[in-house]
Amino acid sequence: MINLKSISKAFEHRSVLKNVNLAVAAGESVFVCGINGVGKSTLLRIAAGLLAPDAGAVEICGRDMAKDPEKAKPRLGLISHKSMVYTDLTVLENLMFFGRLYGLADPRRRAEQMLDDLGLGAYRFDRAAILSRGMMQRLAIARALIHKPAVLLADEPFTGLDSKASAHLAAVLEGFGDTDHAVLMTTHDAAVGVRCCRRVIVLHQGGIVFDAPTEGIDAIAFSTDYVAYSGGAS
Amino acid sequence: MRYFLTSLRAVFMKDIVTELRARQVLPTMVVLGMLIVWVLRIACETAAGSTAIIGPVAFWIAFLFAGLLAQERSFATEEQNDCMDGLLLAPIDAGTIYLAKLLVNIVMLCIFEIIIVPVVIIAFGLRIGGHWPSLIGVLLLGNIAISSVGTLFSAIVQLCRTRGSLLSILVLVVLAPVMVPATFALLLKFGAIPAELAGTGALAFVGTFKTAVGYMVVFDAVFVTASWLLFGFAIKE
Amino acid sequence: MRRMLIVFTFILLTAALWLGLTKGSIEGPPANPDSPVRNIIYAHVPSSICSLLCFGVLFVAAIGVLSTGRQGWDQLAAATAEVGLVFATVLNLTGMIWSRAEWNTWWTASPRLISAAILWFLYVVLIILRSSLPGSTQRRARVCAVFAIIAFLDVPMVIISARFLPDIHRASFDFTSPWQYAAFFLSMIATVMLAGVLIALRTDLIRVNTLLEQEEY
Repeated sequence: MINLKSISKAFEHRSVLKNVNLAVAAGESVFVCGINGVGKSTLLRIAAGLLAPDAGAVEICGRDMAKDPEKAKPRLGLISHKSMVYTDLTVLENLMFFGRLYGLADPRRRAEQMLDDLGLGAYRFDRAAILSRGMMQRLAIARALIHKPAVLLADEPFTGLDSKASAHLAAVLEGFGDTDHAVLMTTHDAAVGVRCCRRVIVLHQGGIVFDAPTEGIDAIAFSTDYVAYSGGAS
Repeated sequence: MRYFLTSLRAVFMKDIVTELRARQVLPTMVVLGMLIVWVLRIACETAAGSTAIIGPVAFWIAFLFAGLLAQERSFATEEQNDCMDGLLLAPIDAGTIYLAKLLVNIVMLCIFEIIIVPVVIIAFGLRIGGHWPSLIGVLLLGNIAISSVGTLFSAIVQLCRTRGSLLSILVLVVLAPVMVPATFALLLKFGAIPAELAGTGALAFVGTFKTAVGYMVVFDAVFVTASWLLFGFAIKE
Repeated sequence: MRRMLIVFTFILLTAALWLGLTKGSIEGPPANPDSPVRNIIYAHVPSSICSLLCFGVLFVAAIGVLSTGRQGWDQLAAATAEVGLVFATVLNLTGMIWSRAEWNTWWTASPRLISAAILWFLYVVLIILRSSLPGSTQRRARVCAVFAIIAFLDVPMVIISARFLPDIHRASFDFTSPWQYAAFFLSMIATVMLAGVLIALRTDLIRVNTLLEQEEY
């Protein structure tokens, strides 16, 4: 579903990603792990087509991101650090706007459905400016999923969510793995990442240094080991 | 084609609703325009009979600077919460985003003009007679010219610390040429230049009202097309 | 090869200067026939040609940046904008001196004078834009290329629009002796070559600077 082929990226003269290859199959969810500044967000932004790699190619569902963006982009949703919603529009208007951008047949109905799913129904006619951080994050998740993407990219999606919303998001992420969907996500909490995903990769010094299924990995132990490892390595 | 219209309409309506709700720029534009007109009107007192010449000029000075305010806003809203990324994630064509933003800026300048044109006409005692349609035509062509490059450049400067000042020099230098025939056309229509002098050799005026309008049409066509094609390069990270 | 070209350019320039001030020297304006001021034409006209040519080079470089994304095109564009500014400055200054001597005013709103002034402003704005853009070098290169293309399209617009104003500038200057023609064409060739050499040297300097910055990392 996601196919990153020999991706390299440098900012100014600082090389961040060096010849990274990563293929995520249907039904797979991958947790990208790594210390701050290692290039996790850069990798996700490149996969989302927001950032052009210096070398290499991105394929989403078999469509090349650079050559065929109109086909690749609709299959992809991104939850990023920032909410990407307009504070002067209401919650419903925001979702309907993005629904229209993705060419949905009935954006209003889909938006209402998303709001009910994420527990934002009561806020639908409120301006997004008044939302609390957690509610804003729910709206950002709804925004990313409005067009039913096959591939979900999530950069720190748990930020600001309370336990109920976190559980809901974890269920969404796990549910994604059951069908013909794929997930690529990062989070600072290694234990949560290991629990949510079926595969974990570790980025270090521009390359993938560890790649294994999470089955059999003890989340807590991984988290402790990982902290020790990354602390020692940096 | 259908998606083009849907997405164009979505972005256009989104910006109009945002502006009407927040009312950030239009009031500022109107006040700035009135101040410009007022200052120029006072300047006219120093020389008798200059109102007929400064009046038409006041239109364009007010439009240019009010236009800058509208354009600066057009991508400021996208910067909040990284909304620009949200647009780039969607399969919408960069050219469509440009056209939608262009339309918003044109509409905002039109609203501004509806308020400011009567103010200028009253302040400077201008006489239009039966020239209303051609006056509106010239103003609209000038409006499109001002918005065309302005919309492109506001995307260019969106990450700069000196956003507003940089935008103003980019826009003013490129628009400098179109202001000559635009002013010339208005001077003709308001009778500041005798019509029989236009296009004749005595004063070596090369232009007539028709050539001035023709120039503006070509200018609009060239820069709207160029900006539409180049817009994708300006917003990519 | 390049050194030869530089030396040759400077020989040509010196020859043009010498010829223009001796055998090709032009008589002063009617009010002051002894004045050498009209010799300024040997610098003025070639500068105007070069400042226009630089827009052409800028346009080519901009297309190069947008189609290939190579840094070399951007370095060429940066160098050309600076060299273009130099020639546009010479064009305007010599024009002002000429204007003062011939029409007794430093500047007046006449088509070519306006066009020359706007050309100068376009170069200045291009250089300011380059220096005030944050973000990646690729984005800066692209944005400067976009503005350069718009500026290139603006040049004919500037020249046509100025025709809506009364003109005091003469369309062409009548030379009286073959020496004057020789001096004129010699200075024309020498100045265009000078522009080429300056652009090449400046591009190199910018490239070396970029490489040095890379070394520091």
